[in-house]
Amino acid sequence: MDLLAAIDLRGGAAVRLVQGDFGREQGYGDPVALASRLVDAGARWLHVVDLDAARTGEPVNRAVVLDIAARATVPVQSGGGVRSAADVDELLGAGVARVVLGTAALEDPDLAGELATGHPDRVALGLDYRRRDDGSLEAAARGWTTGSGRTVAELLDHLAGAPLGAVVVTAIERDGTLAGPDLDGLAGVLGLTALPVVASGGVGSADDLRALAGLRVAAPPAGGPVRRLAGVVVGKALVDGRVGVEEAIAACATPG
Amino acid sequence: MSAPGPGPGPIAVLDYGIGNLRSAEKALQHLGARARLTSEPAEVDDAAGVVLPGVGAFGRCAEALATSGLRAPALAAIGRGVPFLGVCVGFQLLHASSEESPGTPGLGVLDGAVRRVGGAVKLPQMQWNPLVRRGPDSGLLAGLGPSPWVYFVHSYAPEITADTVATCDYGGPVAAASERGNVWGTQFHPEKSSATGLAVLANFVARCADGAPPS
Repeated sequence: MDLLAAIDLRGGAAVRLVQGDFGREQGYGDPVALASRLVDAGARWLHVVDLDAARTGEPVNRAVVLDIAARATVPVQSGGGVRSAADVDELLGAGVARVVLGTAALEDPDLAGELATGHPDRVALGLDYRRRDDGSLEAAARGWTTGSGRTVAELLDHLAGAPLGAVVVTAIERDGTLAGPDLDGLAGVLGLTALPVVASGGVGSADDLRALAGLRVAAPPAGGPVRRLAGVVVGKALVDGRVGVEEAIAACATPG
Repeated sequence: MSAPGPGPGPIAVLDYGIGNLRSAEKALQHLGARARLTSEPAEVDDAAGVVLPGVGAFGRCAEALATSGLRAPALAAIGRGVPFLGVCVGFQLLHASSEESPGTPGLGVLDGAVRRVGGAVKLPQMQWNPLVRRGPDSGLLAGLGPSPWVYFVHSYAPEITADTVATCDYGGPVAAASERGNVWGTQFHPEKSSATGLAVLANFVARCADGAPPS
């Protein structure tokens, strides 16, 4: 299971929010320096999100994203405000390994499918969700400020067959809380798609990573091997130093 | 005609019209090497070393290299014994042909053809994977630990030959790096493989410095 070290951008700086609340923000300074620090500590993937662009669609931190991608000596996955073919082309052209579409996929899934087809394996679906009372997972858009009225299951079904590189699934209510990941929600998503699934939200400890690495779900009715997570995005736990990068990578490698 | 061995100029990272290749140049500069992205044959003729990057399809890269006017200077540099590093599709281009683009010739400097990665595996291989060393000590892999992890993005790879110095396991052994005299190649991306990748590039930079005139 890959470890992706998260860097969220707001106003040109690295930040971490709690449950996506723009009113509950902690600053972590220069994002390029943070990226270097994480890579020097052993991170093999960076996951860079433009929070301002996610909310408004205006790529105000695009230059910072491109700078991180150009300088990073590891692959960079990036999302937030990626809404058009031009956005995808600019990011991939600058060396970003994979772009994440969130709002774009929810509001125009056919466009998302086209972008995936145009860049096989280089486009990932960002599914950020809140639980409804009936247990279903409602996808949220625009920096999590808008519920979409669509469920994760509906969207995965709509895009089945598109050559997406991965599905990045974020439990909004867990994000930034260090309270542990939503294992049930993730198990549900694993059973709904054959795509690589990357978990995000709530990791607070090496034990959380071991639990994610050990998660196993029987394959969808079509059959195939047992499903497991392909990766996990970790933000606060790494930048706060609660878990060291090398310790986190070791915890992600739990065999099974 | 240039003298044999590395020239006095910076390491030339070939810019032959296939897109943004700055990451290789930046990684070399990060190591303190004099390196410059160039599309000028004269700079290749003077270079202390040459890096041939490549992304996308073999055929498109081979055609672009020819159209750019850099194919002949690249071959001449190889012939003069200048340290030469092919990366990803640039590594593939060092071979005579690829299944990906039948009928389009590569540089034919390394033996064997480039073939689609076989086995029941998802393609492209887009992941970190550890190298398995092959054969005697290799300059390219000098100083790396026993199982160095590097980052791959590819669907094709050269056949394994006597010049293969490392493979990775992806549905079976897949050629990951080769070395033949002054010609080195990596299927993985050393500029995206963190400290291990930088160490490979540092080994290349050291080769470029050997034989360079005192500055």
